[in-house]
Amino acid sequence: MRHTARWAALGVGVVVAGLAVVLALQVSDAERQSRPRSELLGDPAPEFTVETMAGEEISLASVRGRAVIVNFWNSWCTPCKQEEPALREFYERHRDEADFLMLGIVRDDEEKPARQAVADRGLEWPMGLDPGDKAALDFGTRGQPETFAITPGGLVAGVQYGPATVGDLEEMLAAARGQA
Amino acid sequence: MRAALGVFALAVGTSAAVIGIATLGLGLSRGDERLLRTGRRYVFVILGAAVLAVAAMEWALLTHDFSIEYVAENNARSTPLLFTITGLWAALEGSILLWALVLGGYLAFMARRFRDRATDPLVAWATITGLVVALFFFVLMLGPANPFTTLPSPPADGAGPNPLLQNHPLMAFHPPMLYLGYVGFTVPFAFAIAALVTGRFGEGWLADTRRATLVAWGFLTAGILLGAWWSYEVLGWGGYWAWDPVENASLLPWLTGTAFIHSVIVQERRGMLRVWNLSLVIATFCLTILGTFLTRSGVIDSVHSFTQSAIGPMLLGFLGFVAAVGVGLIAWRGDRLRAPGRIDSPVSRESAFLANNLLFAGLALVVLLGTVYPLLAEALQGRRLSVGEPYFDRMTTPIGIGLLFLMAAAPALPWRATSGEVLRRRLLVPAWAGAVVMAVAVALGARELAQVLTFGLAAFALTGIARQFWLGARAHGVVRAVRSNPRLYGGLVVHVGVVLIAVALAASSSYSTKREVRLREDESASVGRYTVTYLGSDVDRSDQKTTVSTRVRIRRGGDDLGVYEPAISTFPNSTQGIGTPSVRTGVREDVYLTLVSSPNQRGRITLGVAVNPMVLWLWIGGGVMALGTLLALAPSRKLWRRPPPTVGDLRRQDVEAREPEPV
Amino acid sequence: MIRRLAPWIALGAVVTVTLAVVVWPDGGDPSPRARARALAEEFRCPECQGLSVADSSAPTARAMRADIRERIAAGQSDEEIRQSMVDRFGESVLLRPQGGGIGFVVWGLPVIAVVLGAGGLAYALWRWRRQPAAHATAADEALVERARS
Repeated sequence: MRHTARWAALGVGVVVAGLAVVLALQVSDAERQSRPRSELLGDPAPEFTVETMAGEEISLASVRGRAVIVNFWNSWCTPCKQEEPALREFYERHRDEADFLMLGIVRDDEEKPARQAVADRGLEWPMGLDPGDKAALDFGTRGQPETFAITPGGLVAGVQYGPATVGDLEEMLAAARGQA
Repeated sequence: MRAALGVFALAVGTSAAVIGIATLGLGLSRGDERLLRTGRRYVFVILGAAVLAVAAMEWALLTHDFSIEYVAENNARSTPLLFTITGLWAALEGSILLWALVLGGYLAFMARRFRDRATDPLVAWATITGLVVALFFFVLMLGPANPFTTLPSPPADGAGPNPLLQNHPLMAFHPPMLYLGYVGFTVPFAFAIAALVTGRFGEGWLADTRRATLVAWGFLTAGILLGAWWSYEVLGWGGYWAWDPVENASLLPWLTGTAFIHSVIVQERRGMLRVWNLSLVIATFCLTILGTFLTRSGVIDSVHSFTQSAIGPMLLGFLGFVAAVGVGLIAWRGDRLRAPGRIDSPVSRESAFLANNLLFAGLALVVLLGTVYPLLAEALQGRRLSVGEPYFDRMTTPIGIGLLFLMAAAPALPWRATSGEVLRRRLLVPAWAGAVVMAVAVALGARELAQVLTFGLAAFALTGIARQFWLGARAHGVVRAVRSNPRLYGGLVVHVGVVLIAVALAASSSYSTKREVRLREDESASVGRYTVTYLGSDVDRSDQKTTVSTRVRIRRGGDDLGVYEPAISTFPNSTQGIGTPSVRTGVREDVYLTLVSSPNQRGRITLGVAVNPMVLWLWIGGGVMALGTLLALAPSRKLWRRPPPTVGDLRRQDVEAREPEPV
Repeated sequence: MIRRLAPWIALGAVVTVTLAVVVWPDGGDPSPRARARALAEEFRCPECQGLSVADSSAPTARAMRADIRERIAAGQSDEEIRQSMVDRFGESVLLRPQGGGIGFVVWGLPVIAVVLGAGGLAYALWRWRRQPAAHATAADEALVERARS
């Protein structure tokens, strides 16, 4: 083949140019920002079972028919402390609604400090213990706080990574009730 | 004041680069020797400007001048002195400053080394290329990557450097070492461009830059190994190489650089592979640029960091420009470079070097593709993917073994062509050594193909190298033999280092054991041949961090091996807890302790205990490679004693190569 | 000629036998522990910086390791376990990219490149052998000697 070097060089040039275009496209697409997407959105919620600090057993089956907000937290994580006031306010607003349940699940913590924190900070909604972090794993959590919204039919309607505001929680509840 | 000084220095550097380029360009077009001689002086102005800017930044860091944004983000009043000084390269803007400094140094070295040839167009074009690169970096610093931006209302205290960077004094050495490697490749690159532009693509530019290339390669090797050492001893996840995009970014130019070091030998000897070598060195340079920015701006881990500043697009632009210039020049000149040479036999050292280059190129392709694939997949299909150790191990191991084989066989192959008799004499004993070692390993229970092959080839290689040394010693005495050809023997020593590293890799990746044990005070557990006993823990609180450290005694059989202290530190400015491992380094194996969780309510800790064989040999191998590189850089005594070989000499050497050596 | 080759043949035999012993499949499937470890090495710990589930001490990694063990005990296949992880954490939890479709870029391309390169080399070598070798004539050597002086 004549002019081998020329063809090879041009070939390489095309590949490099292609790579540069790909990278440049990524750069300009500002929407592709950090929000990690949850795999579970729109899928049936995982079949979890936790025992609450009050001794009650709660599972996915037992909450069928109610819009559920599940909040993974623990006693030592700073953003969890940050979102506490929002959680409290949100809970106060809705605690008397029959078709509503707010469930906290302890993630990556020991039972004693978790119970202590609940007592000290006056957290009144049901708190599930999750030894071995099985429910946390089933929900595909990567850290805490993470909050999930489940519809009465058992589908995951919303996911929030990181501390939530009251507005975030209201949005998730609306999504769970099908009023998005 | 310091910021103003810094910006002033950057402006001086930028102008010097522009004026230097213009002067040299004018000198070349007019053939004006005086202009050429003046033009090269601007290189020294650039060096001075870089030194001044670095001095300004260090001054600002040492005085905790938080009116400068960079200092506020990477330094705090409580930061210890060493980390204040090394804060210069703690983040992107400062590390570009470091790059500019090292570049200034190399360009000044280049200008001084070739001062007698200042009027040679080859040298002039190389200087212009170097100045263009320097110009890019200075402009970057005057623009989006300005280290001297000021804050309107300076905070009382700074944020301090990333906790990971404060953990170990090694942070002082790893980035500068890497940069001495990366930036060093600018020199052969500049000469490659000059050779293409002037059409002087003979071997002149290779000989001129041989030492600079070797120095750069040596520093890059050291930088990569230091990074692996840091990863192992400091980061605490238990390994030394994670195939992380940042690590891969530093490996890529090393791979092409190593290929280049070998293929230049073929070009020197036979005048072949000129286009290939030019492409290799241009590619290596491009990869160094890509490398440092992948490391510092997190292109791959989080593409969104680009959107925060114009650094990303500028980097891409420069990379594209360099690649376009390189590709364009080769397309333009390439076919005129074709040498009439040929390779006489597939079983010759030239062929082995060609195969070596093929495998290194394959390796570089694997690492590049694996690193870039997640980006591609996201751009083309919107999928989030990962590429990790399972992929890289699977793809690089066969190539690595192939390279090990070549390394063992090639030094024994003569140049040009050989006969069966020569091969027999040179290769049979080493090959048998390899086979015996393999058989012994299997007899002792080794069952992993890659490991067994590695051990066998290592024995093969070491025996061959020993044979070369023995032959040289027998003929002239070791010292005289080495002095007469330091390049060859230096290379052989480097190969010894590589063999040690290969064996260490094979052993530590297959035969490590790891366990987590939960212990209360005075409880023990056994892992492998060792018994670990938890003695107690201490908490140390200071302004800078809170450290929980535990004391663990290690015993083997009846021997007490000492008390080791794995710890976890938390820093006031961040919620991250950073673990510090404690490693008992042994010749045969390491005992690696990590504190997985500090004492809980009941005083129980979770301790990670790993037994890693032969890790020490990675670092020893690295040291040997460094020694070999130094040896290869030494001047050859032959040059001063004997006149250069005549055509008759060369013919005689060829004939000797084909005949059996005298016994 | 056989006598000259004898040491090489013996060498080949030793190497072949040794390698055969290494690659000979030992009877039986891998133990559950080995399977668990192999699978754990394939998954990325979601809350760490690129560590595998096997290497990481994070709680998620630990929960995942326990989950893998349970699923193996429950009789699930490797593929099913992989799918369960992908369902929860997305494709990016797999450290070994899947082969189909665009996966060809990482798996196929390097192999093809090396094979093509080797082929090209072989072709070039063959072509060179067919060319007559250039030899310096006496006139050439005289020219060089004159240039040197």
